[in-house]
Amino acid sequence: MLAPMITPPTTVQQDAAGSPLAAELLRHSVLLVTGKGGVGKSTVAVSMARLAAQRGQRVLLVELESVSRVAPLFGLPRVGPEPIEVDRRLWVACLDSMDSLRFFFTQQLKVAALVNLALRNRAVEGFFKAVPAVKPMLFLYHLWRIEQDQGRFGDGRYDLIICDLPTSGFTVGMYAIPDTLAHVFRVGSMATYAVGMREMLSQPGRAGLVLVTLPEEMPVTETLELRADLLRRHGVETAAIIVNGVYPHIVRPEDVEHLQTAAQMATGLAQEPVREWLWAARLLAGRRQRAEGFLTQLRTAMAGRVVELPFLFRRDLPLDAVDLLAHRFGARSEGAA
Amino acid sequence: MTAAAATLESMLQDSRLVILAGSGGVGKTTSSAALALHAALAGRHVLVLTIDPARRLLQALGLHSRDLPSNTPLEVLPVRRADLPATELDADGELRNRGTLHAMMLDAESGAIDMVERLLPTAALRDQVMNNRIYRAFLPALSASPDYMALELISFLMRDDRFDLLVLDTPPMHNAVDFLHAGGTLAAFINERVLKWFAKVPLPGQKSRFSILGAGTSMAMSVLGRLLGNETLPDIAEFFASFQEVLPRLRERANETDRMLRAPHTHFVIVTAPGETSLREARHLHRELQDQTMNIAGFIVNRVIQVPRMLADPSHLIDATEHLRQPLIDSGLGAAETSDVTERLVQAAAKLRHLGEADEAHVVTLQRLAGKTAFCTVAAQREEDIHTLAQLRDLGARLLDASRPAC
Repeated sequence: MLAPMITPPTTVQQDAAGSPLAAELLRHSVLLVTGKGGVGKSTVAVSMARLAAQRGQRVLLVELESVSRVAPLFGLPRVGPEPIEVDRRLWVACLDSMDSLRFFFTQQLKVAALVNLALRNRAVEGFFKAVPAVKPMLFLYHLWRIEQDQGRFGDGRYDLIICDLPTSGFTVGMYAIPDTLAHVFRVGSMATYAVGMREMLSQPGRAGLVLVTLPEEMPVTETLELRADLLRRHGVETAAIIVNGVYPHIVRPEDVEHLQTAAQMATGLAQEPVREWLWAARLLAGRRQRAEGFLTQLRTAMAGRVVELPFLFRRDLPLDAVDLLAHRFGARSEGAA
Repeated sequence: MTAAAATLESMLQDSRLVILAGSGGVGKTTSSAALALHAALAGRHVLVLTIDPARRLLQALGLHSRDLPSNTPLEVLPVRRADLPATELDADGELRNRGTLHAMMLDAESGAIDMVERLLPTAALRDQVMNNRIYRAFLPALSASPDYMALELISFLMRDDRFDLLVLDTPPMHNAVDFLHAGGTLAAFINERVLKWFAKVPLPGQKSRFSILGAGTSMAMSVLGRLLGNETLPDIAEFFASFQEVLPRLRERANETDRMLRAPHTHFVIVTAPGETSLREARHLHRELQDQTMNIAGFIVNRVIQVPRMLADPSHLIDATEHLRQPLIDSGLGAAETSDVTERLVQAAAKLRHLGEADEAHVVTLQRLAGKTAFCTVAAQREEDIHTLAQLRDLGARLLDASRPAC
């Protein structure tokens, strides 16, 4: 482990003009960020981590990947299971299931020689690698232990752990783990862990669930279904839905109407350019209009617990773009006033 | 594939199994359905197998809601041929090329139960497994990994003589190995070593046989006992004991799946969309599939912003703006309003041009990766979700057009 860094006092600076929802989200001990593939969930997780760190919290961002996606953002060749401080008050770690398996063995068996023996035993390894739910189980255990060591629950060094979870399927699987364990293990340490993990996932102010989506039909429908599913099966209420990639209000619907008339009037050399302008206007105004419909739908379903992040018209997102999103995340949204 | 044959069209003519792979949110399901429809219209007997399908797409295929049976092939064509343009039908109102299309949704939970039933030879054994505490606890988890089910099902469906082409829409993955090895993982889960090992654990009600175990095994046993609790070991042992008889069949099935994935008439298509993450994952997938010596037929790049000629070129933009002014005034706008609208549009065009350039660079990278032996076809960003069979057909036609060597 790295030596603890000297950090300033962890007072959360409350920006009076800031978003109360963002402030509330950042008060959790853990934020679980998930969403369908391609919605920008990793970007949202990093943005939230940057915002929390900028506001004075000590933040650990955890990715569950074999290769870290945020490492390049901070100019690092790679990030492994040991947290690295990449910026003031911001640490990142990247775990794969072998890291979590080793962690579990180390915690259970204590003796390093025994851990190595267990990891090398092919029957033990075969069993752990192949049990279907083992990945979410090992990760949940790992996360729970980190959470136990930190902030208000201990004397650890993080105020907030933000987890970039792989897929919504993994998330559903993870919330099912305490029940699964309780069925399989009625007594013993595993049964005790099941209780502890369930508490972390269900107690107010501990693990907050954040769903990321795009303002498009399929992602929105699936996000609302995921939310309903988790509520029904596990009694988990989603802390917030983040709508990423919302097209800004550049072109107005009436601009499209004028262009349509203009396209009919245009003659000669003007025909092609006007058609092209009409394409651009329709694309932007149409996307904005549809996004507004989905935002309304989500706000109604979530009683306003929705954060809107703008589309930045770029396919890469360097750190300055991430910080722009972090800023928007923390700011009081114009629409909500 | 030979260089001359590297088109989407030839792939759809020659394949028995087409697997679309890619990360989430890149339009894999829609692409699978569009390719399957195209092949069916060309006269093949196609089954498209989809996991986690979008509702609109189901609607387009004529499969309305969740109350339809899952894990059962449902007929789309010829039964829904009236939804197609008349050009696809002959004078008798039949499909011109007499192809068929079926679609099947994979429901992992009932799939897991079906699979266990298929694998376990006797009713007594099935009951034993179904009532095992471990099995019951892990069943939902097994269902959360549809790749197990998908691979198991395709080897089963490949033997169904109603179909001569299977199009498989895989679950989102950034790791091809996860999916390709799913069959092997299942066999590994219940592998001989693990089985033998657990066979030595006393079943509930039996006396301990620890004394007769070798040193290595009792070591491992004590480790596992410490990890999971000794009281759980008999349940786990019973679970594995139920699978003793199945193991050879499971292994055989895994080998069969492996052969099927590498067969000459099996082709992988990597589906992607613009964006650094998607591009990185497509390259990663390509490398992994190559390492695994799978046949990669080509790439489909969805959701590309294709900026039209004049807006794409800054040197034409002033010209294009000039040409905008008069028609806008003619449409009834005042001079000031015309300036405002124009200003907003110029701003919009600059942003779209930026995206268009990034997307073009992305496509060029993939074209280079595809080289001469694979196709690389591009679908423009659509402004509406697909919800009719006719729209799906148009998408298929566009994908086919864009994959011809001329591009």
